[in-house]
Amino acid sequence: MRSVSYVQRVSLDFSGTLFPHAICLGDADNDSLNELVVGDTSGKLYVYKNDESKPWLTRSCAGMLTCVGVGDICNRGKNFVIAVGAEGWLHLFDLSAAAKSESSSQQEALFFDDQTPYFTQHIPANTKVILISDIDGDGRNELVLGYTDRVVRAFRWEEPPDAPELENGQLVLLKKWLLEGQVDSLSVNPGPEGLPELMVSQPGCGYAILLCSWTQESPADPDCSASSSPEGDGPSRDVILHLTSGRIHNKNVSTHLIGSIGQGFLKPYPDGVPGSSSEPSKCGLFALCTLDGTLKLMDSTEQLLWSVQVDHQLFALQKLDVTGDGREEVVACAWDGQTYIIDHNRAVVRFQFDENVSAFCAGLYACKEGKNTPCLVYVSFSHKIYVYWSVGLERMESTNLLKVLEEQTEYHELLRRQGVDPEDTESVRALIQDVLYGEKHPAPP
Amino acid sequence: MFHGAEGKCPLVEDSFSRFPSQSNIYGLCQAGERELLAATLKGKVVCFKYQDLRQKIRPVAKEVQFTYIPVDAEIVSIDSFNKSPPNRGLVVGITFIKDSGDKASPFLNIYCDYEPGSEFNLESVAQSCLNLELRFTPFQLYHTEVQCGDGNETVFLLSGHDQQIHLYKENASLHQFEEQPIGRLFPELLDLPSNVIWMDMMRVSGGRRLSAFGCQNGCVGLALVKQEGPEILQSWRIQQDSPVSKVLLFSLGTPRLQTRTDQDASAHTSQITEDGNESYNLLVTSTIEMAVVYRDVHTCGLTNSICLPESNQYDVVLCALVIDLEFDGNRELLLGTYGQELLCYKFQLSDSRQVHLMWKRSFKSPLLSITYLDLTGDGLRELAILTLKGLHILQHSLTWSANLVLQSLRKRASLLH
Repeated sequence: MRSVSYVQRVSLDFSGTLFPHAICLGDADNDSLNELVVGDTSGKLYVYKNDESKPWLTRSCAGMLTCVGVGDICNRGKNFVIAVGAEGWLHLFDLSAAAKSESSSQQEALFFDDQTPYFTQHIPANTKVILISDIDGDGRNELVLGYTDRVVRAFRWEEPPDAPELENGQLVLLKKWLLEGQVDSLSVNPGPEGLPELMVSQPGCGYAILLCSWTQESPADPDCSASSSPEGDGPSRDVILHLTSGRIHNKNVSTHLIGSIGQGFLKPYPDGVPGSSSEPSKCGLFALCTLDGTLKLMDSTEQLLWSVQVDHQLFALQKLDVTGDGREEVVACAWDGQTYIIDHNRAVVRFQFDENVSAFCAGLYACKEGKNTPCLVYVSFSHKIYVYWSVGLERMESTNLLKVLEEQTEYHELLRRQGVDPEDTESVRALIQDVLYGEKHPAPP
Repeated sequence: MFHGAEGKCPLVEDSFSRFPSQSNIYGLCQAGERELLAATLKGKVVCFKYQDLRQKIRPVAKEVQFTYIPVDAEIVSIDSFNKSPPNRGLVVGITFIKDSGDKASPFLNIYCDYEPGSEFNLESVAQSCLNLELRFTPFQLYHTEVQCGDGNETVFLLSGHDQQIHLYKENASLHQFEEQPIGRLFPELLDLPSNVIWMDMMRVSGGRRLSAFGCQNGCVGLALVKQEGPEILQSWRIQQDSPVSKVLLFSLGTPRLQTRTDQDASAHTSQITEDGNESYNLLVTSTIEMAVVYRDVHTCGLTNSICLPESNQYDVVLCALVIDLEFDGNRELLLGTYGQELLCYKFQLSDSRQVHLMWKRSFKSPLLSITYLDLTGDGLRELAILTLKGLHILQHSLTWSANLVLQSLRKRASLLH
């Protein structure tokens, strides 16, 4: 198995402890560059920008933060930072103002640095995971929260139509699903018809699709009801459980999932977010990983693309385009820092982070030179967060110059004109050696 | 184009193999054409190569079981060579210290298979061992080709803590290696001032050789020797203030002509072609001071020196290499440091007396040894770097190199017509 050693990293100061989902990358202040948002167990929210080891700003929230997110939750074309505590306090922060005031002057920045959240609401407690995405295909984002008591709730931001400010708006519960097992990940994946499907992971390398039944009541969207489960009348019917095939798994092993894995139909990063828009005719790709080391890549028709077994305890699953070809690789991290990067063809690259990891995320972050680059982010147990900011690879598999040259159309013709048979590897090798180093290599013994 | 841009290493890491225990500065050698041997402290030898499998190549690092290395042995140095023609075969030498508790005893094992057909088979070479007990703690194991009688022969040289360098030469009639007095073949290596940490030799024009060594007490010795005889033509000594970690003889090469013809020239013979203007240089790295390049040593001795700026900023320089990284005929100087940095220096084209730091690249652990060879079997060589934690293989950017090859082939094709 190929392995690499990344070295270019920055270390960020972080003295708290955190939950594994209280970390994310996203454009928190709407400057088109991504920040790192981290929430700790004492309710403090940290936002890191570029390669500064100190947080760019901090905020205080009520309770113990279990998950943080960045997204356009209010559907106003503007990102907010969302921090949710275990006790059910949900805070919304608007950091665009902070970014503006910073650009004016330091004095003013302190003055304008408004610590209070933009919006606060109490929701049911015991939150665990967060997702901000369009889950019902109406083009508007919803907020989905997973709970430690095996419940998933979806909320939508609603405000009076003529309200100029957020203060009149609030999050309204859309639906509650009850699952059989713990929910470790929430994700959205395009279904066989290209419509988004809300997926949650279930123990034992399983997953469930949660149906958005409110779309059925809408007469404007009859197609949608046809695609959902035919027997979908009771609330429990809105959970379609899938256990992935293969050998029998430990039924209780914790499982993570990530969907909408970019397949590279479009040019890389069309709008700054890889894989944000995939071909509607094709179904989405999603990956699963378990704590006992199973990794799977599947598509939404339940077809298995590959499965990999490793002997490390995988606890985090992300997607990241490390080769820059628009196709996102699956990135899985183990508690001991072993990280697997796997492409759609099952080519594996390993990286060993040399410490134990308490939380991991991967994505685009503007660490250096004011541009978003693929990064791996590890939270250690030594009060540091390490951001590896140069993780790009030219290719996933080792290869040599001859194989790269073979892809060039004129290559064989050029060889023949030098009187070298393209099939005669030794002569070709000697020719290349002569071209590059100006010397013939002695014939092998 | 990103390649060769100032300040950035143009090579990309293809693979990293983690070793079970650490190695040292004498722990890496090329074995055969496309394989590397790396020795780790706990008596294990790892063979690294690229395996061709189903139209793909993949890096493979696997342990080779060299016989007669006890479990409690700690390997000091490893070296390997192919016998000089007309003899055939791969020879591997491993020095180690067996510490059985009461007294540490050093050994040199020489592996070499005489069975026709398996002379180059590493697995069977590893099984045929000559075990020599040493009376000194071994340091660097080195090999060089000497003229003896009417042919050439490659021999082992081993430096030790007894202020001597020992010679091991094959006894053709007995089919085995044996220690022979050093003075007859290497008179310049007699009466050493201190323990030799590193030695290097190079054949130069006129049937001569340059031989250099660096010592624990900071002494650097250099000699120009006529191979025939042999006879010391000139010798120089210089005293530095701290132990010398590495000496390296190199020629800078001349910018290549685009229409170079297919002359059968190997790396070393190209440096001793008829043109007597070839300049030979000596790099000396020390544990505290800046690294120094002595220019034109075969004419000026150790008088014409240039310091390498910033080379003392990253702890001790432990390894060095001179290669043409950009395929333009100008060679670059690479230094690997204990401070986990690889430094690349370029001699300025206008004034070759000036050297400047082109780029540096960080590693995860101290750099111990560095070599450049074609591991992937495509004519393009890779940079292998042994660090405290394992072996890194750095590859030239293949897209960039492929373009360069196509360009040159096009140019050649147009010249043909």
